[in-house]
Amino acid sequence: MPTQKEFDIIYKTNYPKVVRLCMGYFEGDEALASDVAQDVFIKVWGNLANFRNESSMSTWIYRITVNTCLSSLRKKRKTPVSVKKHLGHLESETDDLSSEKERRLNALYGCINKLNNDNKSLLLLELEGLPQKEIASITGLSHAAVRTRLHRIKDQLTKCVTL
Amino acid sequence: MTEFENLKSHWAKQKQTDTPENGSQTIVRKTTSIKRKQVLTNLILISTLAVLILFFFYVSAYNSSRATLGLGIMISVLAIRIVLEIFSIRQLNRLKFDLETAMFKQKISNYYKRRIRTHYIFTPIIIAAYSFGFILLLPLFKESLSSGFYLYIKISAIFVLIGLVTLIGVQVKKELSALKGIKN
Repeated sequence: MPTQKEFDIIYKTNYPKVVRLCMGYFEGDEALASDVAQDVFIKVWGNLANFRNESSMSTWIYRITVNTCLSSLRKKRKTPVSVKKHLGHLESETDDLSSEKERRLNALYGCINKLNNDNKSLLLLELEGLPQKEIASITGLSHAAVRTRLHRIKDQLTKCVTL
Repeated sequence: MTEFENLKSHWAKQKQTDTPENGSQTIVRKTTSIKRKQVLTNLILISTLAVLILFFFYVSAYNSSRATLGLGIMISVLAIRIVLEIFSIRQLNRLKFDLETAMFKQKISNYYKRRIRTHYIFTPIIIAAYSFGFILLLPLFKESLSSGFYLYIKISAIFVLIGLVTLIGVQVKKELSALKGIKN
């Protein structure tokens, strides 16, 4: 039986990664992503006793994250897009470099949002820097299928962001 | 550095969300509260049924064949609905979120398809049977209640029916959109 202390370490180690992955599913909406991340950790805590070391803890948490985000996609945005853009605009007046970064990041979120759910999951896991073998084990696709699809998605994404 | 690697680096360098200080304790507390709520939901559903059965005996409905039939139908269909709901909640709770995504998508799609099938097939039958049971009781209400209260019962029943159909409609819409979202 896992202790609360062990769970606390798992939580603190994985929370930022989980929120960032969720933000990819919700077009950068941090408030909504944090809500869904809470659901993710409720599932992690609830199932921690059943976790067998068939995969790494990180792969297991990523699986729960991807599945929870997919099943939460109908949730409504918490941060209205206009407010986010307005804040981005205010930042741009004070710092050109950060505004360029913000613009690119917003463009990246926008382009990710245009992908279908399967491709979105593949790309977000790739952006997180996971090896393709691990992505295959999370999504249930073959390694070859992940490689081929990612190649296509990367091209598609690059073209979309640079447009 | 390729353009994609550039984007990957932007992704990695974006502002990191702060980890809530007592986040893990909140999660543990929430999990306990969710479990309590689930037990409470089951208790409410079961006590609704118990109240109806008690009511059946309290008004000695078994003395009249019409009342037995009317109330019997209403209680039976409500019991079926409650069993279906408890079964559905259990199915959702048993859904494993640590499956491979492809398998998970199939399982959750099947769950929503079953829910929608329940809404489209069983729910209308249940509502029709429940209304039929209620209509069977109307002459008995007319005999034993004042005309004002009888009118009130008839009118409120119509409003309850409209409310129920609207509520179910909203639920069907939500679950259809969830299914669509997952399939996308």
